[in-house]
Amino acid sequence: MTDDADSGEAAADGGETADRERTGDGLGAGLRRLSGRLLVALATAALLALLGVAAVVAPESSVGRLFGIVVSTSTLSATLRLSVPIVFAAIGGIFAEKSGVINIGLEGLLIISAFSAVYGADVTGSMLAGLLIGVLASTVLAAVFAVVCIEYRADQIIAGLAVWLIALGLAPFASQVVYGSPNTDSVGTLGTWTIPVLADIPLLGALFDAAPPVYLMFVTVAGAWYVLNRTAFGRWVRAAGENPRALDTAGVDVSRVRYAAVLISGVLSGIGGAALAFNIGQFTGNGPTMVNGKGFIAIVAYLFGNYNPVGALGSTMLFAGLDAVQLRLQTRQILGVPDSLVQTIPFVAVIVVLALVGRTRIPEAAGEHYESGEE
Amino acid sequence: MSADGGGRGRGDDADDTDGPGGSDADDGSVLPDRLREYAVSMAGASGGERLLIALAAIALSILVGTVIVVAGGLIATCRTPVLTVGDLALCYDPVAVYDRLFFGALGDPLSGGWSPLNAQFAVTLRETTVLIFTGLSVALAFRAGIFNIGTQGQLVVGALVSALTVLWAAPALSGTAGTVVLIPLGLLAGAVGGGFYGAIPGVLKAYAEANEVITTIMLNFVAVLVVRYLVSDHFQDPGSQAIQTASLPEYAQFPALLFDPRLDFSLVALGFALAVVVGIYYLLSHTSFGFDLRTAGLQPAAAEYGGVDSARTVVASLTLSGALGGLGGAVYVLMILGKFQTGVPSYGFDGITVSILAGNNPIGAIFAAFLFGVLQSGSSVVDFATDVPPQLVGVLRGLIILFVAMPEFFRLVGRRITPEDRGPAAAPGGAADD
Repeated sequence: MTDDADSGEAAADGGETADRERTGDGLGAGLRRLSGRLLVALATAALLALLGVAAVVAPESSVGRLFGIVVSTSTLSATLRLSVPIVFAAIGGIFAEKSGVINIGLEGLLIISAFSAVYGADVTGSMLAGLLIGVLASTVLAAVFAVVCIEYRADQIIAGLAVWLIALGLAPFASQVVYGSPNTDSVGTLGTWTIPVLADIPLLGALFDAAPPVYLMFVTVAGAWYVLNRTAFGRWVRAAGENPRALDTAGVDVSRVRYAAVLISGVLSGIGGAALAFNIGQFTGNGPTMVNGKGFIAIVAYLFGNYNPVGALGSTMLFAGLDAVQLRLQTRQILGVPDSLVQTIPFVAVIVVLALVGRTRIPEAAGEHYESGEE
Repeated sequence: MSADGGGRGRGDDADDTDGPGGSDADDGSVLPDRLREYAVSMAGASGGERLLIALAAIALSILVGTVIVVAGGLIATCRTPVLTVGDLALCYDPVAVYDRLFFGALGDPLSGGWSPLNAQFAVTLRETTVLIFTGLSVALAFRAGIFNIGTQGQLVVGALVSALTVLWAAPALSGTAGTVVLIPLGLLAGAVGGGFYGAIPGVLKAYAEANEVITTIMLNFVAVLVVRYLVSDHFQDPGSQAIQTASLPEYAQFPALLFDPRLDFSLVALGFALAVVVGIYYLLSHTSFGFDLRTAGLQPAAAEYGGVDSARTVVASLTLSGALGGLGGAVYVLMILGKFQTGVPSYGFDGITVSILAGNNPIGAIFAAFLFGVLQSGSSVVDFATDVPPQLVGVLRGLIILFVAMPEFFRLVGRRITPEDRGPAAAPGGAADD
């Protein structure tokens, strides 16, 4: 075991050395990448500061009221709530892509688990059982994706799109079969866990007065960071994506590591989809369904977060924060901008961020089929 | 085997990124690289093999679809089950579903008194017409190594621009002269609108290296929202509850040749679609632009070396791809709807399947579009004639893409069932995947 771990580490280190060399050769590109991320962070901070100054100068102006919305406890609370499905899908995506399998079907995994969780909760009468059934459904679909990509060498992008489209058809189909409508019945929502005293802190109190999935999200982010960076399995995952040949030479089965990573993305997306559905206690399956692009936003979130779970959490909070603000703006009509246009804010933000970050350094062997030398 | 070759090629690319110029093209986001490999591996497959794989994928999808229908039929509750075994009651009849889906879409050709002008066949052909455009749109981008998931958004934008342009110009004209001027004008407007909307991800990819898979998906959402705002706040038909523009005058819509005008199908539009197919085929195979585009898709480094401006090729391909999607939107407005209304069907996403099924070949897109025309048209017959939810077609769409994406699986099965091998394991191999 220790031998394997050490050699796995060596393989991962090899990958990281290559990483450094490759970043070194394009200093300009490196700077641009850094400046893209820095630019977004600075722009966000500057915008907040500007709003704050305006709010102090003219608290009753629409800008002042906008600032009031942005820094309110309820906006932070909504941001956390909206972040949950995206963060879980993003961390799952990190595992899969780090191991060399680009999982663009996260959206489909969220959709299938959102429906299955509601159906499960409805049939069993237990939210926990519903969650498990949602996770199971998402993991089974992820397993199909893994077999198709790893065993049958399917193109990962096309197979991922297929996963999305299958779920996009299957969930409303199943809902129609069971409930006679693309929307399911209501099963009730999760309550909140309130931590006494801490919940009364202004603004940050939202962190201590939230639904269970929010706490689980923070635990998962920390856990994923630890697993990826401090355990043998994490090193194998990174090595499978960076330098599968070295991992193979070290005696670790590359395919098995990749299967495990893709299944993890299924489990995590399953939790995310279930949390999303339990948020309103229902699955709605019209058009793009209630998931509505969150799986794709998750991909941008982890690219922007540079495959770091903590970074993915940060960029998700940015997108979800914008979404929370736009939801509040819709109800308050502050800037006089029509709802439809306000709703485009998160999507446009994703495009802008992607354009600023530009090329991301993806794992060396991501997207490639790996054939073990033994065969 | 071809995947291995592609893998090696990519490894080489990664090693020689010292050149400042080369690194941009070689080391870009991985998705186009994968596409290139896919394109290479598909090009490596012979036409016959591709056709076999496509047919096998359709058959397997129908098989899995049957399993889903049966499973759904066991879960659903109904008053008159088609089959009862003990406590189990099967509510859906899978044979009836596929009978309605395929024969229903064609207007029951086996039942005597069949005329190709029948209403359901007209619906099938009309869906086929729009799907030819969206399939071509995806295929053209694919040939350039670009994955355009944004055909749907480009179609929506093209449809609105087309409707508004024709509404604006219609009062000045009337009668046959109106038809002759307004339809080309509407098509042009749709192409310009869609082309413009396709150019946005093109510019973002070419000059900011933003991955087009994500940007085009995001732009689909943006298109729906912006279009909803424009129509509801500025161009709303005051006499309607739905979010829609005023109706176009009759003379501004495609004339129905032979078919009943109430069926919203025009042979002229279908003929135009087929002419565009030939045009795109010619463009890809016989012009220098088409050569540059395909080279950029297959061998970006070689294309760059040969003097192809890759950034401009990316923008041009996505613009042209968007224009084709926009044309689809214009045809949707000018032939089917006669106005613009929000809630446009997912022709763009079906276009992805059409293109992948056709191996990104423009001629093949005609047949793939017809298959999906049958599925779309048949889904309404299924909805009408059975209790099975019409969303089944959406599931089949995803399954077909999944199976076409894994040619290796069918090669494996093929090798096992070839007589030389005499391996009895073919069936278990196939079943394991379901």
